[in-house]
Amino acid sequence: MEELSFLEKLHNLQDTYGYIPEREISNLAEEADISRAKVFGVISFYSMFYTEPTGKYIVRICDSLSCYVNDSEDLVKAVQDYLEIEDGETSKDKKFSLEVVECLGHCGEGPVMMINNKTFTQLNEKKALNILKECK
Amino acid sequence: MGERQLLKKEATTDITEHNFSALEKALTMEGAEVVKEIKEAGLKGRGGAGFPTGLKWELALAEEADDKYLICNADEAETGTFKDRYLMENVPFKVLEGIIIAAYAVGANKGYIYIRGEYSKPIKIFTKVLKDAYDEGLLGASILDSDFNFDLRLIKGAGAYICGEETALLNSIEGKRGKSRTKPPYPIQSGLFGQPTVVNNVETLTSAREIIDLGAEEYGALGTEESKGTKLVCLSGDISKPGVYEVEFGELTIREIIEELGQGVKNDEQLKFIIPGGASTSIIPAEKMDVDYSYEAIAEIGSSLGSGAIIVLDDTHSLLDLMVNVSRFFMDETCGTCFPCKDGNKQLNYLLKKAVQKGGFTKKEIELIRSIGETIILSARCGLGQTSSNFINSIFDNYQAEVLQRGNEDAEN
Amino acid sequence: MPKIKIDGEELEVELGTTILEAAKEVQVNIPTLCYLEELSVYGGCRLCVVEIEGEKNLKPACATEIAEGMEIKTHSEKVRRVRKNIFELIISSHNIGCELNCLDCSWNISCELKEIAELIEIDQSRLDSINERYDDDNSSHAVVRKMNKCIDCTRCVRKCEEIQGVGIFTKANRGPETLITTFKNKGMGNVECANCGQCIHACPTGALHESYHYNSVWHFLNDDSKFVVVQTAPSVRVALSEGFGEEPGTVATGQMVAALRRLGFDRVFDTNFSADLTIMEEGYELIGRIKEGGKLPMFTSCSPGWIKFIEHFYPEYLPHLSTCKSPQQMLGAVAKSYYAEQHGINVEDMIVVSVMPCTAKKFEASRLEMEDDVDFVLTTRELIRMIKESGLDMMNLAEEKADKMMGASSGAADIFGATGGVMEAALRTAYEVITEEELGKLDFKTLRGLAGIKEAEVEIGELTVKAAVAHGLGNAKELMERIEAGAEYHFVEVMACPGGCVGGGGQPVPTNQETVEKRLNSLYQIDAEKKLRKSHENPEIKAIYEEFLGEPGAKKSHDLLHTHYIPRSI
Repeated sequence: MEELSFLEKLHNLQDTYGYIPEREISNLAEEADISRAKVFGVISFYSMFYTEPTGKYIVRICDSLSCYVNDSEDLVKAVQDYLEIEDGETSKDKKFSLEVVECLGHCGEGPVMMINNKTFTQLNEKKALNILKECK
Repeated sequence: MGERQLLKKEATTDITEHNFSALEKALTMEGAEVVKEIKEAGLKGRGGAGFPTGLKWELALAEEADDKYLICNADEAETGTFKDRYLMENVPFKVLEGIIIAAYAVGANKGYIYIRGEYSKPIKIFTKVLKDAYDEGLLGASILDSDFNFDLRLIKGAGAYICGEETALLNSIEGKRGKSRTKPPYPIQSGLFGQPTVVNNVETLTSAREIIDLGAEEYGALGTEESKGTKLVCLSGDISKPGVYEVEFGELTIREIIEELGQGVKNDEQLKFIIPGGASTSIIPAEKMDVDYSYEAIAEIGSSLGSGAIIVLDDTHSLLDLMVNVSRFFMDETCGTCFPCKDGNKQLNYLLKKAVQKGGFTKKEIELIRSIGETIILSARCGLGQTSSNFINSIFDNYQAEVLQRGNEDAEN
Repeated sequence: MPKIKIDGEELEVELGTTILEAAKEVQVNIPTLCYLEELSVYGGCRLCVVEIEGEKNLKPACATEIAEGMEIKTHSEKVRRVRKNIFELIISSHNIGCELNCLDCSWNISCELKEIAELIEIDQSRLDSINERYDDDNSSHAVVRKMNKCIDCTRCVRKCEEIQGVGIFTKANRGPETLITTFKNKGMGNVECANCGQCIHACPTGALHESYHYNSVWHFLNDDSKFVVVQTAPSVRVALSEGFGEEPGTVATGQMVAALRRLGFDRVFDTNFSADLTIMEEGYELIGRIKEGGKLPMFTSCSPGWIKFIEHFYPEYLPHLSTCKSPQQMLGAVAKSYYAEQHGINVEDMIVVSVMPCTAKKFEASRLEMEDDVDFVLTTRELIRMIKESGLDMMNLAEEKADKMMGASSGAADIFGATGGVMEAALRTAYEVITEEELGKLDFKTLRGLAGIKEAEVEIGELTVKAAVAHGLGNAKELMERIEAGAEYHFVEVMACPGGCVGGGGQPVPTNQETVEKRLNSLYQIDAEKKLRKSHENPEIKAIYEEFLGEPGAKKSHDLLHTHYIPRSI
């Protein structure tokens, strides 16, 4: 089919660099004949795109209703304490970024945590911390 | 009594094990005949809005254009919903068949399956599905040696709930901010890149596949007059056996679904209420749970079947906390375009949090929150805003006495 | 034609008409906020929602087209309730409550929100203000953004992108973090902003205003050791009076001069004088380029918004820009040399202030390559503030004349404020200098008016001069595309703002097509009524060349009156 869509290009850049660097945004803007501000507006709309480097592991914990009633907030608290970072922050050693997010689509298996592309379900604090400890 | 499996059966991720009988059958029919079957089977959109699928296809078929798009909406993100993930992970070739059949029926030559970015496993599976399908002549030119050509491409979402709204999804594929569009024009007239476009949910398309496979008559014999066939139900929350269950419409009541399929409330707690179709639907209190599981029966008691996500809540939770949680979801996920949705949901979240701090609402505050809620519902552009305060309103409808601030109910402020 | 009913009134309207437009036909004005006629429809604020018979949800009038048989209610109970609530939400979510900051708001005299509040009869405000606590954006020399006042209506975004073709703003993020910002939140001063200030005119909430200089000017006016001179651009005299309740286009040249003297300026000069000077320098430069095979087309350089635009977007075309400084900078340069020398004023003690219809002039004055020429730049709006603060009843002051040596001007200089005016002024002089004959008809009508791009061929002796004029950077972009595609011109005039300087980012509110046209007409009227209509005939111009500069383009002129540019790209 047609050439890569704009969204796919953004994914490719995100996957390549771990974020979408400024010069690539300018390139995309020029290619598409739109302003770089507009490209930034698009990128910033989507939670999974970043314009600054993040931690090596992006830890996403769901706090939407089904997980919430299965004590996701305790999980969030435990992970925050362990990583010593708050929602939206990256650890000093650039290893972890933490995001408390809305529904991850594993509502029957909450609470749920994603680390980069891997999803971990039916967690409790101990399980979650063990998983994080294994992230080298 | 129990599950009635159509969609769920014959699970496989191996193309050689899957029988493309429905697609083969469809390709021997005219597009219009396929549309007719779907209409006769009475299929309604399974994404949440429940629009008649056959009518949508009929309108799309009538459109003339160089390019016509068929989009499979797999941006499942409504809180409590994980049925499309189930289908993509377990019966991906049925999903694929449904897509191709739909494209054939409406005369679409190009298509996308837009899978939410967080669904890494379905993305992985479908990447392979597409490759295998091209290799086997199920996609591309002359599908299964017919004269039908159809290209399908996978697009990953990037973490924005609103992109599950069909017009926002179109903007997203076009590489724009995923904000909804003003309707009309509807996607059928002017959708992706301005071309006629059909957007269907994963379960809808898979059900369409079952209809062609079984024939409209046999499929239509399942369910009730207004709710035909089967529906995937996602059980989550305070439930003993959460999961995806397939039920025939009208066969079970919600109570039966919870007690028999889900084996009741977790830890033997007392059931308080359920949300029948994701966070954007109104709650159904425990005492009204003997309602048949069908579009019409649930509508009759003032809620909606929605996406089929039944979230079960026991009576151990603070209603105020639940309200804050749900309102945060809509506040976080609004695309930020309509002022009532963007500012209204923010203000609602603020007012609810304030109530949590002081332990309840005054009557005046409830009036204010309802009034803002009404404004959002009436004036927002898309489904997100138009349903964002259903949950909150229905808590007030059913449990107002429980959320009043004791001793201060009638305060002016 | 479809028949519809609006509030019970039957009417027939063409298909494709929006409800908002149709309502006007039956004399109903539906309140709007994010809607601006000249921009694309956004449909975000929802203030214009109306009820359509048979539909559950309300529909935005700006974004909904009529259909056969529609029955529309523009102010039913439901509509009124919803509108008021939306307005309350806007107020509460954006730190623009009166108790908070109306008093120091740049828009406090012409507040669109206040007008809407009146229109929809706001009678209560039940919501707490949720303050975003964003920092102000002070990164630009020209424009300040008060982000906490921004309501995300995107009028600035659309103006910058659709009219100006620049696009420095975007809507970013979603949900509660939604905001209007610049590329990666860098701030207006750190991106490809042309400083034109058109965004200020688009903003309904005072979230954008010029970078103020008036306090510094007050400071020096009160410092007796300083010799403070002021110059006023052509477009200020036809707009200043709007701040005092006069009809747009009311000319107040003499009153303005009197007011400036009363404010305490030691000398009041006229930027028109240096506009004539610019014509001399630029006219000779053009003739030189044509005769000696220099870079053509030559682009005018009076509009600092245009300069910054070309530096960012077309840096390869910098050699095409006239090297002439703008009239503002020229006047500063000669005030601090010619005038200071002749009057024995210590240049160190001289403060040059200019009053401009322009925000980009503030940036221009700060450019390192000529930062000593002009010290402070006031917009027309700032001068209105100062005159008001001084308590002067300006319109009733006796008219006065600008100071000698740099106060006289031709009509050619007056029309600098209009799109096409610089071109017309230059042609009047070029014709007579080249042919040594008197130009019969002084008005170049093809160069006038509000068409986006105007082209003309003018016979000057044996030479046919091909000229093109564009106003508004969106049109400039289009003209540049024509040039890139091979269109050939000798001379190109570009003004960054729609209408030219009369529509500048520093002009009174509202600046729109209607006010711009009235101001334009007044400039042409002033020109038509003057005896002196050609720059080279201005006696003070003759004098400055005889007594000080020598010839146009000679060494001294070159040092004082010409400059260079910086390729900035993006």
